[in-house]
Amino acid sequence: MRVTIMSIPVRDQEKAFQFYTKKLGFLKKVDMPLEGGNRWLTLVSPEAQDGPELLLEPAPIHFEPCKVFQDALMQAGIPWTGFEVDDVQGEYDRLTELGVEFSVKPTAMGTVKIAVLNDTCGNNIQLMEIL
Amino acid sequence: MTFYEQELERIKGIVYSNQGQVDTVIAIRNYIENNYDTELNLQVLSHFRFVSKYHLLRLFKKYYGQTPKQYLVDKRIEKAKEHLRNGMKVTETCFAVGFKSLGSFSTLFKTKTGKSPTEYQKEQLSRSK
Repeated sequence: MRVTIMSIPVRDQEKAFQFYTKKLGFLKKVDMPLEGGNRWLTLVSPEAQDGPELLLEPAPIHFEPCKVFQDALMQAGIPWTGFEVDDVQGEYDRLTELGVEFSVKPTAMGTVKIAVLNDTCGNNIQLMEIL
Repeated sequence: MTFYEQELERIKGIVYSNQGQVDTVIAIRNYIENNYDTELNLQVLSHFRFVSKYHLLRLFKKYYGQTPKQYLVDKRIEKAKEHLRNGMKVTETCFAVGFKSLGSFSTLFKTKTGKSPTEYQKEQLSRSK
């Protein structure tokens, strides 16, 4: 068994695709049409193109409990998931320049530094640098 | 302040209240990051920060969830993958990342990645063509 897919629920797949590729810098791996305009849409990190894929999943549009859960996390400021970066402050500076909003500015938490951004598709996403 | 921010503050106060310990383990990790290709062991690391070997072991595990040895092995394998992708020979890679024996390097590499160094390199180089 292998870990290959990590799913992120999004309200609008195309909007999420633009955000995760143009702003965060991920690359498209698989884009396959499904029924009803939905897509099997996965992304990879440019530094690990054969690594785990992020699945931008339109679950909140089709399954109300998912939307309720996602809204509750967003309201509480809890990240849906997180990505590791080499320099949280540098990413914060780069992304705020691109108009990305952060609910938690770069903050040291013991042996890690974190920041939390809004992906504009219903999720808080945490950036993490190991110190 | 969101619920998450409140939780961060609360957890920080409990888990990371001892800044001296945090500074020690961060320095140890940085030392491993910069010296993974040399002969590193608990003795060397404990001399570096003037703490006992067992205290260092406990602290590192407490703050990083791995022993220094486990961390070092992962670092060496990560660097070995980088060298192999760049076309470095397997034997050269083995010594460049601090392993002393080709046999133990190959075994460990296969355990961690599922492929031998040679298989890994072939696969990576064929992908980049």
